[in-house]
Amino acid sequence: GVPTPFNPSHSVSAGFCSRKHPMATGAACVFVVRRDQDIYMETLRKLFNESHGIFVGLQRCEEERAARARNAQLVQVSKNYRSVIRACMEDMHQAASKSVLSGQRFSAFFFQVSILSAMELIWNLCEILFVEAAPAGPLLLRLLDWVQLHICDVDNMVREVLSSENPSKHKLFWNVVDIFVLQGRMDEARHLLSKEAIANPTSMKMYKILDDLMKKMPLGNTQTLTEMELKWQHWHEECQRYLQDGTFASNSHMESICKILLGDENAILEKKELMTTWYHFLVTRLLYSHPTVKPMELRFYAQSSMDMFLGEESSPEPLDTILMAAFEFELHQVIKECSVALSNWWFVAHLTDLLDHCKLLQSHNLYFGSNMREFLLLEYASGLFSHHSLWQLGVDYFDHCPEYGRVYLELHIERIPLNTEQKALKVLRICEQRQMHEQVRSICKIMAMKALRNNRLGSALSWSIRAKDAAFATLISDRFLKDYCERGCFSDLDLIDNLGPSMLLSDRLTFLGKYREFHRLYGEKRFSEAARLLLMLMTAHIAPCSFWMTLLTDALPLLEQKEVIFSAEQTYELMRCLEDLTAGKLDRQKFQDDDVETMKVEMLRLALARNLARVIVKEGTLEGS
Amino acid sequence: MFGIVFNGNGFVWQSYPIFHLGFTRILHIIVSVMYRPPVCHNRNAFLSAFPNNVVSCRHEGPVWQVAWAHPMYGNILASCSYDRKVIIWKEENGTWEKTYEYTGHDSSVNSVCWAPHDYGLILACGSSDGAISLLSYTGDGQWEVKKISNAHTIGCNAVSWAPAVVPGSLIEQPSGQKPNYIKRFASGGCDNLVKIWKEEDGQWKEEQKLEAHSDWVRDVAWAPSIGLPTSTIASCSQDGRVFIWTCDDASGNSWSPKLLHKFNDVVWHVSWSITANILAVSGGDNKVTLWKESVDGLWACISDVNKGQGGVSAVTEGQQNEQ
Repeated sequence: GVPTPFNPSHSVSAGFCSRKHPMATGAACVFVVRRDQDIYMETLRKLFNESHGIFVGLQRCEEERAARARNAQLVQVSKNYRSVIRACMEDMHQAASKSVLSGQRFSAFFFQVSILSAMELIWNLCEILFVEAAPAGPLLLRLLDWVQLHICDVDNMVREVLSSENPSKHKLFWNVVDIFVLQGRMDEARHLLSKEAIANPTSMKMYKILDDLMKKMPLGNTQTLTEMELKWQHWHEECQRYLQDGTFASNSHMESICKILLGDENAILEKKELMTTWYHFLVTRLLYSHPTVKPMELRFYAQSSMDMFLGEESSPEPLDTILMAAFEFELHQVIKECSVALSNWWFVAHLTDLLDHCKLLQSHNLYFGSNMREFLLLEYASGLFSHHSLWQLGVDYFDHCPEYGRVYLELHIERIPLNTEQKALKVLRICEQRQMHEQVRSICKIMAMKALRNNRLGSALSWSIRAKDAAFATLISDRFLKDYCERGCFSDLDLIDNLGPSMLLSDRLTFLGKYREFHRLYGEKRFSEAARLLLMLMTAHIAPCSFWMTLLTDALPLLEQKEVIFSAEQTYELMRCLEDLTAGKLDRQKFQDDDVETMKVEMLRLALARNLARVIVKEGTLEGS
Repeated sequence: MFGIVFNGNGFVWQSYPIFHLGFTRILHIIVSVMYRPPVCHNRNAFLSAFPNNVVSCRHEGPVWQVAWAHPMYGNILASCSYDRKVIIWKEENGTWEKTYEYTGHDSSVNSVCWAPHDYGLILACGSSDGAISLLSYTGDGQWEVKKISNAHTIGCNAVSWAPAVVPGSLIEQPSGQKPNYIKRFASGGCDNLVKIWKEEDGQWKEEQKLEAHSDWVRDVAWAPSIGLPTSTIASCSQDGRVFIWTCDDASGNSWSPKLLHKFNDVVWHVSWSITANILAVSGGDNKVTLWKESVDGLWACISDVNKGQGGVSAVTEGQQNEQ
């Protein structure tokens, strides 16, 4: 990662900017350091998103039983990954060309595109050698395709030459013919040569021979290896004869083409600038000297090709070492070199996973007992968690790491910033699906606390119910009740009305629910039920003592009703409650504390007495009399 | 991966568990340095970093460390300072207020560290008077104090709690009930020792003494656990060395040190990543380096950040020797 001072374009901003302070020793700056700057580039997000889909598909798809079908399946997955890389490169190209980029951003784009291109190159080679495991014969054809795909300059040159008035007179004409030959594109080479033949009738004879040789060159996988070798041997001898006869002596271009056809290394090396890379040279060499090369033989040719091509002047770059390791079939070396060279784990994680599915990786016991595939996936997924939305992809990766995935997920998911309720719910759903009860509780508690701090009591209550946090629920219920005492009404009625069985989480919460029910009954004029409930709240000790006064005060309107609501027994109960309450208070209330309080008590006593009188009479009266 | 993320109100709790010692500590101190008024020296600093908040009481000396409690307890921050005080701040309705002030130490308090949230709200404080105090919240604004006197001769520089994970729980299936945690923490002091403390019957006892450093231990960091039977502690010292201590058995009896690296200057802080596979080290050589254990058990530097220079070089194993 590159340490950058605070970048205001990020959605999460640093409150501190990098001002230098004179009194500090050294620069007093705040550095925001990220290991993976890549994660924050828009176009790479597409890479991460789409490759995630392919990854999950691979883990979940049913394995084909037949080896060939399975192989085809895996090759398809590999091709999908590569097409995602290419799509990403396209997008970057487009984005770069559309906007006018300043120097630094342009070079960043360019750098990124070249990295993607290198990744695709390596992946493609790995697909040929490891996933598809092309045998001798088809191997060379695949390698030819590979080379053709990745040397792009050719197409520009070709277009230039073909679109000119007189192609054969174009200064790059022979370059293009040469490159076609070097890449085994015989038909295209012959087509161009025919133009030269037309323009230059004197070389017609030479052209016809060369054309014939190129047409007859054995290529293709429609025959057995031995057949192929035999044909090739004959053809090679024929070419040799024509060369030695001096057929092409008068035209140096054609002569050099013939030499190339014969696999003359020096002749091929002369076209170094056209081939541009040692692996192109390697494939050309193989095409014209060992077309039936076996996969295991590649390493020898690869090493010598690189040595010959690079010569004394240059030494191998990281990309070269990676490709060489691939040609040598050193899988672990390839992965290791890629890990070092690339700036994030995306490439090695996905490639290793694919190779693991191809059953090519032996289980290496790394120091913590896990294997390489899982190690890399864990690293990659951990990196995703530092992004505000890509973390969701990381969850699936952890899911497919059987040894440590779960515990890594538990550690990471608790640390996702829960800035919005939606995000919290998303995280919760993930935890609940995986029975991560500790994390569920923790997250709910955090949300409840947040809501409480912002005075959103209803939200806090529902979170604490979800967290099954009795203590917190009690705290919030107390707040509700306090609010009620102060304001005379409840907030968040919907929530309290629909508590259901979660009411039982804490005594205080039960009381809150029941108390609200009392109010509802009263509002619906179901007085006797309300009365019963009210009394029960006190006698069953559901109500906290501090609230009894309020409850008794609530009883007043019921006592003052025209109709008698409380029975005699109930009235006695109420009186007892009142006495219990005041007995305790007498000692405490030294001063007038509350004139209101004493007045309330007196009013209650009066109302209770009156009620008692009425109810005795009522109950004593016979029916009908 | 690590990301220090801030929002406009000051630190957001993400900075808490990622590196609650070590890297963010440097930033926090830098912040406090940066925001002090031009004249006075490094006082009153740290909460003026919160631009929208007024702070009614302050430290009277440099603030050495701040630590966030787990967000399930709300926004709670502890700070310790040269002025011998430990202050616990709480955010209510967008304003920060002091909820508790502890003045039980006789000299500078150097380090504070919150215990894993499973134990409740417990804060360990290490001081230059050699004592370590443990403040536990008992409810209703009350804090209970337990003090370990003479934990380190001359002074205690760092404290770090062990994670609330039973070693080996990844491998053995958990029983489903809440496990019986044994509370442990590590401390580093001026007696060149790292000590491990264990709570037994409500009392704190010295369980282990780890000797390897030849100068003051400046920081200790107990690595988070993924449930493997190994416990790991990182310690760094004035002598420029960083040691990784590992204990393979669950009972915590045999700790063996491995030298991570010898730096050219004093190493101030060490800090673990969330899953404890990366260790961040910062020191007087003006560098922050990241270290990872390789397959063969050796520690390799995976990158370094040159403070103030903005450049970064990916250091491979070969280049590590230049350090």
